[in-house]
Amino acid sequence: MNFKISERTLEPGQIILDISGEVDVLTAPLLKDAIIDQVNKGASHIIINLESVEYLDSTGLGTLIGGLKRTREAKSRLSIAGMNSRIRRLFDITGIDKIFIIHETVEDAAAYTEENV
Amino acid sequence: MSSNSDKVTITLPCRPEYVGVVRLALLGVASRLPFSYDEVEDLRLAVGEACTYAVERAGSIEATLTVSIGIDENGLEIYVTDDVPADTPKRVSAQDYDLLAETGVDQEGLGALLMEILVDKVEIIPGPAGTTVHLTKFAPKQST
Repeated sequence: MNFKISERTLEPGQIILDISGEVDVLTAPLLKDAIIDQVNKGASHIIINLESVEYLDSTGLGTLIGGLKRTREAKSRLSIAGMNSRIRRLFDITGIDKIFIIHETVEDAAAYTEENV
Repeated sequence: MSSNSDKVTITLPCRPEYVGVVRLALLGVASRLPFSYDEVEDLRLAVGEACTYAVERAGSIEATLTVSIGIDENGLEIYVTDDVPADTPKRVSAQDYDLLAETGVDQEGLGALLMEILVDKVEIIPGPAGTTVHLTKFAPKQST
């Protein structure tokens, strides 16, 4: 149930945000702040790792969409990786899966280069 | 609901930190019916969305959330009621309504859409002194 965010740098500019716990109306603002922080620091690619997220609701989805828009404005990228089947289902039923590049693993997301876009 | 239904009611502050408490309580009550894991998770999410709807409308005002869960062999009837007056300004700190609107997504719309998909019936009853979200989830049909 605890919510945690930690950041890793894969290579300069490529940041992974490892999220764990529940993303809801209480914790989504923390995720939003973490994304804004990385955009402000000039990250070129932010990978949101949802592997350890057990719960995500509409506020979490909204935060990710907001993050996508912010990174696009900053000419950087935001990718999502590692979501479980329940969270994947939320993306599918709301149609949000179409606006994100969703990867199975962080490694896949990291290997997905601009040339593929 | 039949006359022999049980009722669980909890009253709590209408603030983000209590939404998780409602989800936990719901988990306990829903486990009394033979729902699948996915169905219980759907219910938890739908109730979470109903509470979030209230919490976001409450903003910084002091408000109370009352969650009433009726349970019998037919299923669950859940009422999430707040006392947030209809003219209360929206909370903007957590979400970027403008940013989302630009992308064509409406946060409240997402929550409402999820509720519609996840439970069998959703009824939102707005009033000048508060709003009730009424969710119905039928019990799974037992094979005999």
